[in-house]
This record gives sequence, C-alpha cells and structure tokens, in this order.
Amino acid sequence: MSTAVELTQVSRRYRSATALENVSLSLERDAIHGLLGRNGAGKTTLMSIAAAQDWPSSGEVKILGLRPHENEQVLPRICFVREEQRYVDDALAKHAFKAAARAFPRWDAQLAAQLAREFRVPEKTRIKKMSRGQRSAVGVIIGIASRAEVTFFDEPYMGLDAVARQLFYDRLLEDYASHPRTVVLSSHLIDEIAHLIENVVVIDQGQILLEEPVEQLRDRAVTLVGRQDIVAEVIGTREVLHHEAMGRIVRTTVLGALDEPERRALQERDVEILPVSLQQLIVRLTAREDTSNQTTMAPSEEVAR
Amino acid sequence: MSSLAVQSTEASTAQDQQASRSSFARLPSAFRLQFTVPSQMIWVPLGVFFLSWALAIGIGLWIRHLGDGTGDPFYTGASQATVWCLAFIAAYSASHTFPFSMALSYSRRVFVLGAFLAFAAVSAGFGALFSIAILLERTTGGFWAQSYTFDLPLMTQNAGALGAGVLAGTVCLGAMMVGFFWSILYRRVSLALLWVIALLLVALLAVSVMVLTQNGWWPQVFDWLGVQSSYSFAGWLLLLTLGLTAVNYLVIRRAVPTA
Repeated sequence: MSTAVELTQVSRRYRSATALENVSLSLERDAIHGLLGRNGAGKTTLMSIAAAQDWPSSGEVKILGLRPHENEQVLPRICFVREEQRYVDDALAKHAFKAAARAFPRWDAQLAAQLAREFRVPEKTRIKKMSRGQRSAVGVIIGIASRAEVTFFDEPYMGLDAVARQLFYDRLLEDYASHPRTVVLSSHLIDEIAHLIENVVVIDQGQILLEEPVEQLRDRAVTLVGRQDIVAEVIGTREVLHHEAMGRIVRTTVLGALDEPERRALQERDVEILPVSLQQLIVRLTAREDTSNQTTMAPSEEVAR
Repeated sequence: MSSLAVQSTEASTAQDQQASRSSFARLPSAFRLQFTVPSQMIWVPLGVFFLSWALAIGIGLWIRHLGDGTGDPFYTGASQATVWCLAFIAAYSASHTFPFSMALSYSRRVFVLGAFLAFAAVSAGFGALFSIAILLERTTGGFWAQSYTFDLPLMTQNAGALGAGVLAGTVCLGAMMVGFFWSILYRRVSLALLWVIALLLVALLAVSVMVLTQNGWWPQVFDWLGVQSSYSFAGWLLLLTLGLTAVNYLVIRRAVPTA
C-alpha cells in the first residue's frame, strides 16, 4: 500500500514554543487514521502543515508523493476543515457548498444535499448566525462530500450532539466504504471513534508517541482484577501502566499480551481479565510518557538548582 | 521492497502524473469565490453608489433652492463612497474569504490572483458606471442644479468621460488592494508591528515631501502633474497596484488561516 501523508523530520517552532519537534510520520493511503493527543499536543499544527495551511520551520512534507505547499497539482486532492472554520461573511450553507463544489474536483452535490437534510442544517440561516453544532455540521458535510483523496477532520464533533456525532461516524464510514480515501481524524473522544479508525497516531508535546494499527494496539495491554498477591505474582516483570487497590482486590493495567496458558491460569485463580479500551490505553501510555519525561528531567533540574 | 509493491508504487505515480493539471486551472473558481455571496461584492457597493449619489443630488438641489438658483457649479465628493466601501469589502475578503479559501485548498497564489481579477472586474464596473454618470450629469446640467458628483475636473483631466472612468476604476482597484494589504498584514504580524509599519510608511511620505521642499522641486512636480491625463495617471496607478499585488502575495504566502 502506498503512502498518502509523509512527514520527515518536521519541526514547527513559534517564538515562545515548539509545536512540533522532528516529527517523522508516514500514513498509508486509503485508510482512516486517528490522530489522538491532549490539548496543545500538536494535532492541529500537524494537520495544518500536512494540508499546506501552515509552513514547517524545518523538515519535508509530501502528500500523495508531492510537496503540497503552493502546489495546485495536489491541493485540490486535499481537504482540511478546521474545528472552528471561518466562512465568507453572510454566507448561507448553500453558498459554502457551491464554493466547495467549484474547488473540489470529486465533489458530490447530491451527497452534500442529503447530508444537509440529515444534519438539519438550516437553509435560510447565515452560517455566522448558526449554532456551534450547525456550523460544525457544515464543515463535516464539506469534508465528506469533497471526497478529497486526503481529508483531515480536526475535532469535527465540537458542538455536535450525540445523534449528530453518530450520524457523522455512520456517513463517513459508509462513504469511505464506497469511495476509499485517506482520512485523518483528530479527536478527544477516543472510544467514540475507536471503531472507525484503522491506525492510531498518538502525539504528545509535539512528538509522535506511537503509530500503530488499532488491532495491534489493543493487544498491547490488559487489565487484571483480582487478589493483590495473585495479581502481583502474575505481573512479574511486566510494566504496570495503572494500578488501583480496593482493599485486597486490585485492578492493574499491564503492558504486554497474555498467552493462552497464562489466561487459563489466571481464570483458575479467579483473576478477571478485562480488555483495555483504546481510550484507557492511550491515556495510560500518555501518562507514562509524562512520568518518564519528569523522571528524565529531574537530574537536569537538580543541576540547574 | 517486493516487486509487487514496486509495481504498485509505479502505478500510483503514473496515476499522479496522469492527474497533472495546470497550476491555474482553479483560477476561475478562485475568481468566483469572491462572489460567493453576491450582496458582498455587487449589491452593497451598487447600493452605496446610488444612495450616495442621490444624497449628493438632494443636497445640491437643496443648496440651489436656498440660493437664487444661479451660481458656480457645485462639486461633491460622494463618488468616493463606493471606493471606500469596496476597499473595506476587499479587507473583509482577506480576513474572511482567505481562511475559507484555505479550507477549499486553494494555493495562496491562486487565491490572490483570483481576488485581484475579481477586484479588477468590480473596479471596471465602477469605472463604467462612473463614465455613464458623468454623461448623465452633463446632459442634465448637474440635475438642473449644477451639482456634480462624477463630472469632476480632477477626474476628466485631458481625457473626458471615458478617461475619468478609466482613472476611477484604477483608483478603485488600487484602494481595494490597499484594503486587502492592511487586512492581510494584520493577520500576519502583531498589532504593534502593524503600527510600526504604518508609521514607517507615513515617515517615508513625510521625508519625500521634505526632500521635495528642501530642493525646491515642487514646480517640477506640478508641471509633471499638469501634463498628465487621466489615462496616464491610471497607467502609473495601475503599475503601483500591480506592485502592491505582488507584495500582497508575499505577505499572504506565509499567513496562516487561524492566526
């Protein structure tokens, strides 16, 4: 499978902060990628640079094999709708859709009209007067109906209610199935998008923490619930991501898959084995990274003192 | 890499090359982007044009009514209203249409060229209306009150109604690109730096005036102005506007939609 998005040693520095630090990333074509991370982790900057809306301070960006910045050969094949997208003042939704129809060669007007009905986007309300959810819906519709070969959604659910969010996930998946393309979806609601994404990219403090297929990632950790002494014995040298004690019973999340004999042994000793949700796993991995950063920072802090 | 993977990569590269298109293929779309909301670039300026004109005529008739009905021609500055309105609309284009154009994945080059052509089309329309208005004012004797909003000696200098229209259209285009420039500069730099640049430009102007005064060059300047026609003024102005358009591209090239 070929590469849709390729970032090599990309950094983005501002006067007082570094948003991205030597990021190298390669995202496969025709897959849905989840870009996950905390607020300020660098998700939007990464997508802005990949979509040629921002420039890297250093490094190289390639989309579909071409440099995207100021390149009309590849730009019409990219769509990036921001979380708080700004539109032409006084524009109605139909104006935004008409402009998008002229910009994106694979635009599907019928699909846009159908989505506008389903999301209940008001026809006669100016976009700037719409509720946040309705404005988000306009962006979501442009993202889906553009059928751009590389589509970036930056936290598209902001303001959408649960029904509209589910509608977005369903329609995106349906359209992706009939028209495969590369979708990069950034989100905080990790478990909500877990069933959509095929590949996970976790970014923290401007650096890529991990990039793995979802299925592979799910197998990386388990949660064990049982008596403290038995769980401690089973864990052995495995890395503990999270530990909670409730009297003699503990709930411990450990890194590393269990093989079949281990599972059988644990069940025999009344230790419950729970799968770790994607959200939990990413939260734990991010927290672990924070802890290790703090640990590695400690000596230098001491030196500074 | 397996041979299958190599073949697949080659196939996709071939597809990419097949999809090769002109770098300016979306220029007509970028042009039309400026007219996404027709009221913005067409109906509002038209409304301002006719309303300001009607107001100027009304004031002219009133003044004539207060006097004895005779006297010198009465010139108004109401024709500027549309130019100011369009300059603000151009600034709006930089602040609002630019971020939307980024969501539609236009390159900044295509966006600036599309905006320039759209502004040029609107300015040409303004210039044509300016010329027609001059003819109307001449035919009616300034609406029977010697009140002139468009038939201004400054504009018709050595070139008649058509030349005045060409000059008005060029002034309008220049004003729009200036409005666009300040708006995009505001997006690009901090407010403090924006003021520093503005003050530097004012200082440059002041220094130019002082150099002319110190060397006693004003008579030559007035001589040069005297031999110019509306057409030649328009030519010089268009040259400056083209330069400013290039500067606008350089400023917008690194501008980020959310900044």
